[in-house]
Amino acid sequence: MNRSASRSWWKTAAGLLLTAIMLFPVYWMLNVSFTRDQDMRKSPPDLFPVNGTLDGYRKVLDEQLPYLGTSLVIGLGTVLLTVALSAPAGYALAKLRPRGGGVLNFVLLAAQMIPGIIMAMGFYAIYLQLGLLQSVPGLIVADSTLAVPFGVLIFTAFMSGIPGELLQAAKTDGAGALRTFWSIVLPMSRNAVVTVSLFAFLWSWSDFVLASTLAGGGAHEPITLGIYHYIGNNNQEWNAIMATAVVASLPAAVILVLAQRYVAAGVTAGAVKD
Amino acid sequence: MNHTTQLSDRRSAHGGNGAATAVPPPAAARAGRRPASQQWAAWGFLAPVTLYLALFYAYPLYRNIDLSLRNYTVRSFVQGDAPFTGPQNYLTVFDDPTFAPALFHTVVFTAVCLVAQYTLGLVLAVFFNQHFRLSATLRALFLVPWLLPLIVSASTWSWMLNSDSGVVNALLGAVGIGPVNWLTSPSWSLTSVIIANIWIGVPFNLVVLYSGLQSIPASLYEAAALDGANAWQRFWRITFPLLRPVSAITLLLGLVYTLKVFDIIWIMTKGGPADSSTTFATWSYQLGFGNLLPAFGPGAAVGNLLVVAALVFGLIYVKVQRKQALS
Amino acid sequence: MRRTTGRRLTSAALTTVVAVVGTACSSGSGSSSAKGADSGTYTIWDPYPQFAKGSAWAKLLDGCGTKAGVKVKRTAFDTSDLSNKALLAAQQDNSADVLIVDNPVVSTLAEAGVLTTTEENKLDTSKVDPNLLAAGQSGGKTYGTPVGANTLALYYNKKVLKEAGVDIASVEDWPSLTAALAKVKGAGKKGITFSAIGTEEGSFQFLPWFWGSGAELTELDSAQAESALSLWKDWLTQGYAPNSVINNTQTTSWQEFASGDYAFAENGTWQLANAEKAGFDYGVLPIPASGGGNAASPTGGEFVTIPVQGDTGRYAVSQKLATCLTSTQNLYDTDNTLSYVAPTGEVQDKQVAANAALRPWVDAVKSAKGRTSDDLGTKYPKISEQMWKAVQAALSGAQSPKDALAKAQSAAQ
Repeated sequence: MNRSASRSWWKTAAGLLLTAIMLFPVYWMLNVSFTRDQDMRKSPPDLFPVNGTLDGYRKVLDEQLPYLGTSLVIGLGTVLLTVALSAPAGYALAKLRPRGGGVLNFVLLAAQMIPGIIMAMGFYAIYLQLGLLQSVPGLIVADSTLAVPFGVLIFTAFMSGIPGELLQAAKTDGAGALRTFWSIVLPMSRNAVVTVSLFAFLWSWSDFVLASTLAGGGAHEPITLGIYHYIGNNNQEWNAIMATAVVASLPAAVILVLAQRYVAAGVTAGAVKD
Repeated sequence: MNHTTQLSDRRSAHGGNGAATAVPPPAAARAGRRPASQQWAAWGFLAPVTLYLALFYAYPLYRNIDLSLRNYTVRSFVQGDAPFTGPQNYLTVFDDPTFAPALFHTVVFTAVCLVAQYTLGLVLAVFFNQHFRLSATLRALFLVPWLLPLIVSASTWSWMLNSDSGVVNALLGAVGIGPVNWLTSPSWSLTSVIIANIWIGVPFNLVVLYSGLQSIPASLYEAAALDGANAWQRFWRITFPLLRPVSAITLLLGLVYTLKVFDIIWIMTKGGPADSSTTFATWSYQLGFGNLLPAFGPGAAVGNLLVVAALVFGLIYVKVQRKQALS
Repeated sequence: MRRTTGRRLTSAALTTVVAVVGTACSSGSGSSSAKGADSGTYTIWDPYPQFAKGSAWAKLLDGCGTKAGVKVKRTAFDTSDLSNKALLAAQQDNSADVLIVDNPVVSTLAEAGVLTTTEENKLDTSKVDPNLLAAGQSGGKTYGTPVGANTLALYYNKKVLKEAGVDIASVEDWPSLTAALAKVKGAGKKGITFSAIGTEEGSFQFLPWFWGSGAELTELDSAQAESALSLWKDWLTQGYAPNSVINNTQTTSWQEFASGDYAFAENGTWQLANAEKAGFDYGVLPIPASGGGNAASPTGGEFVTIPVQGDTGRYAVSQKLATCLTSTQNLYDTDNTLSYVAPTGEVQDKQVAANAALRPWVDAVKSAKGRTSDDLGTKYPKISEQMWKAVQAALSGAQSPKDALAKAQSAAQ
């Protein structure tokens, strides 16, 4: 008991060290967000914001909070839409062997290679006709295009790991394809659902190109556009930009930690079932 | 054309090793005929996504191909009367002195990033799979870089790598290594953007591979431990083979995303100095949008070459999967 | 023709979409096209995202709308994004009614047929300084009127110069400037910082030296051009300028100067407000030409333009809006907020009367030159791209200044 506890302590220490290395750039961003203009390019730089300023944060808290709300709504909407579209498709491709499934796989690959700016131009033309420019639902649909091909491929890869015997058994019990999907495949794919959701959320959260083309100037703009308040045409206020990024990542970081706990919990539940 | 099927059956034959060896592998029996009802069900599940693809990708893809086949000037872009020129834009691109270096940088950038991201991601996934104190929280923190808008994370990197006031050179100086012109020297700029891109890509690989590890039944490891296999053997005999489908898709997606990377390079070096960090993705953007007078045609042509490259690798992926399924 | 078919195809596809996504989108659509459903609403696009909703600039736009009897809907874009957005919107026949853009973009948009001429839109440009207006002219036509102008000069740190024993009056041409830099370096301080990044910003910053050498944009590989590039290159080699200039934006370069270590910084009018905050005594010096006198520097700043509309009846109101934005009092307020020099002599005098520190800038703007002037128009972007590439290649050591410029000239043809 004692021995395993001390071994686990070492692992925690190593994990902390690795995380610290990984997050050093994030720390640096934090450092810059507190830095006064005249110290921004001090050489050598200060490792800590010794003459810190809260100017950046004052500005951000005054101006940026509504953008955060919009980004949250868009992120969650994108997650729902992405999972709803890609999970059934992944199931069909992995387990139902549709004719033409291979072609669809190729289309999904090609779809991901279309440059974001061309996608944005296409959406602009479509949305102009539909009157969806500058609307939150419109941006949710557009942002989901970043994640749907990924979602389908990931669901396919994970669902193909579900033992065929289980599905066969369900079929023998008289369950239809829909029922099998809903009560067997989906619950067993919890990890994939969480993975796809995480990335759908992250991509929509950090999207700029689609947001600027489709939502620029609207009543509800996401946080990536909010940052552009500090990027003037001749001048950039870096402490405010970095402060926005810090403030913007806090609520999302909480969501991430909670989601990861859920993955761990889901896994234990699955293991018990085995 | 049932690549996925073979992939899936292969996988279930593997995964079934522990749990269901009693059941004979049904692959051979079922592969021949596909019941019509199942086809209907399959396409029923696929219908939403197919419709979605047709609606939202067909037009942009058509636009990108159209742009590359016409002689677009800013005027004809707006007026919509660009003359059809066939492969002219592609020939222009092949002839451009930037072509060879851009190709070379794209290959190096993609290969190095892909290998490094996957290896680091896998090592970290195995490490975090050991359920020590704080493991879930620390793993979540690895994703924090993804929360930052790219303009912020890439600018932070160029901040840290600044020749004169960057923290990296300050730290190197502290241990007696002279300043490196990370972003401003033609021999270092590609390395710098590769480092930054690996940093961005590791969390993606970690999360997907970790989820894959989670799907491997713990009973297999227990059985192997009883048989006296050590950790190293358990990794190579159980983890690695069972992770193959997830690894393959991670690598394929990683490849596609790496080929496409442009924001990071653009923000950090603009592909320079002297084209020393230009890849196809940044070149495409440079041509299409990087100066005051856009050259949409050649820009789109370079973009389409990337689409073709991704498809070629997709084909290799499918071929390899099929070969493995047959072996 | 092609466009209409394309559109019909899209809309056919779209009817289907509506059915599918319609439920999700039932809320919050409304007036989203740039023109809006309402003919009483006029749209204005500007490159000033830094001005939020309640700012003086936003209020000014609203006020001009009220005066013209219409409602104004304003959208602010990032500058580098705005020209692409304007082209895209024009392609879809969805242009803004009034468009405010960076001056070198005007000739590109005019070439694309996006902008109306002052003959069509009846904008009065008679009061504007001709050298500033030139940036918005191409093929003998004028496509807008400047909202303000800025240009480049050398800021200097009085304390650093004093410690190094440099008398600023002695700096009057390139050799004396280089000598001053050598003295500063000798005193343990840093010489000069500028921005040589691989974008239009880099060309903008290089132009005063390029023009100051006597070189012409039509001949990038002249001996004069080489001398200008060699000047920069030597500064880097000697350590008078930091290596980071190759990647510096004008903001980064300003931050370096604001650290108080540098003697000189090449930067623009818009930094005046920040200079006051820097916490040290500074002065401003016009950029010297190679053999003395002042070099011509490029004009910066935006133009108010009126894009082409399907409904030409809208121009009358758009013209009222544009005229209101560039009226004497409004120019004065706007240019003070932006830290710009006004484009008309009348307002410039007012600005100098209120703030004497603006005097050198007004002089610099008067002798400044548009980048697309000399009837270069849409040839400029191509030349400029090759120029910044040559600067980058030479400064990073990839090529000699001579080779880099020769390559640039042949590529810009």
